[in-house]
Amino acid sequence: MIHHHPDTRLLSEHASGALELAPSTCVSLHLNYCEQCRRRHRQLQDLGSALFEKLQPRNVSEHLLDTVMARLDEEAEPLSYRSPSSTAAGDGGYPALVQRLMRGDYADLDWQRMGRNVRICRLRTGDRNNEFALYHIRASGSIPQHSHRGNELTLVLEGSFSDEEGRYSAGDFLMRDAQDRHTPTATRDRDCICVGVLDAPVRFTDWRFRAANPFLRLQAS
Amino acid sequence: MAITDGPDTSERRDDEWSQCLELVGARRDREAFARLFKHFAPLVKAFALNGSALAANHAEELVQEVMIKVWQKAAKYNARKASASTWIYTIARNCRTDLYRRLQKFDTPLSADDIWPDSETTELFTSVQMKRDAVRIREMLSAIPHEQAQILAKIYMEGKSHSEVAEELDLPLGTVKSRVRLAMNKLQLLVEERGL
Repeated sequence: MIHHHPDTRLLSEHASGALELAPSTCVSLHLNYCEQCRRRHRQLQDLGSALFEKLQPRNVSEHLLDTVMARLDEEAEPLSYRSPSSTAAGDGGYPALVQRLMRGDYADLDWQRMGRNVRICRLRTGDRNNEFALYHIRASGSIPQHSHRGNELTLVLEGSFSDEEGRYSAGDFLMRDAQDRHTPTATRDRDCICVGVLDAPVRFTDWRFRAANPFLRLQAS
Repeated sequence: MAITDGPDTSERRDDEWSQCLELVGARRDREAFARLFKHFAPLVKAFALNGSALAANHAEELVQEVMIKVWQKAAKYNARKASASTWIYTIARNCRTDLYRRLQKFDTPLSADDIWPDSETTELFTSVQMKRDAVRIREMLSAIPHEQAQILAKIYMEGKSHSEVAEELDLPLGTVKSRVRLAMNKLQLLVEERGL
């Protein structure tokens, strides 16, 4: 059961195509898991379509229909659409979107350590304003307490973690902004794997890590 | 924005477009495709011109791309799952997003079809509910005050984020958010949120 969802702003911007690629990917991942938000998202697309129908039509060039008709012949073979799996977990246990970003096996990913219990792997989405990363937190391990200089979106892929405000399991979606300060801690029984999207580096409030703050850079690509 | 049809006519016409799409899908019916083209191509062009300046410069290319996709994907169209205009609108949104990212030279392994996968609904039993939702949204939209509708149009048709809309209209971000919330509330689309 999913308990934490993207808000109306994020869902609308996702449905309308206004959201940047990395956060949009994160919202799309949540929709994989959440029937309620899928319905909401469908309704927001209906809203988009209702606005679309009200646009003032603009004349197209006279020959455009003929051009398109001719191209239907040329391209009689339908393009083969890749059909990403619509179930929550693809073959490797991760949603198809994550697998596409991993470009291979989970085992081959290039992880960086952050303390004893946390590993980070940044994945390239093409979004130059937002960093998209996988976080692997060992059972009972924590990400040192931090606040944010911008927004942080988190989606749980596997296991669960808790912070000062609640407990989050697979499919749960969290948004934290500059005012929030938290210490995500994986539950004791198993490791937790999440997707995190940042639009600015975090700021550690845990004194053991504060010295690193001036050197933290967003690694968006 | 010119409002042309009342809800009754637009619903009837939507059935007509759905039938056309089904004819294209099942029988590769070119005449039905031409009818769809005449109605939707000018809307797709308007949608392209509403987008970023980059995409607007390629408006007719976008129309071609969208209409060809309509032809290619029509066999997948299911009238019980979506109205024709919602289906075509989502293709237009996907193509415009991809075009923009292509023009911006995004180096990405993801396409719009990955971000918005087709098979979002498998639950056929909800199709009646879905149609009802769509009709309700269309009807309620006319009852929304201009200052709210204008913002929705900027988000959905121009593809702008809330912050970009705030900047453009010279309004505080909080005002934009609250107008969107008022509109969504009216449309019964508001999600319960953490105290924002």
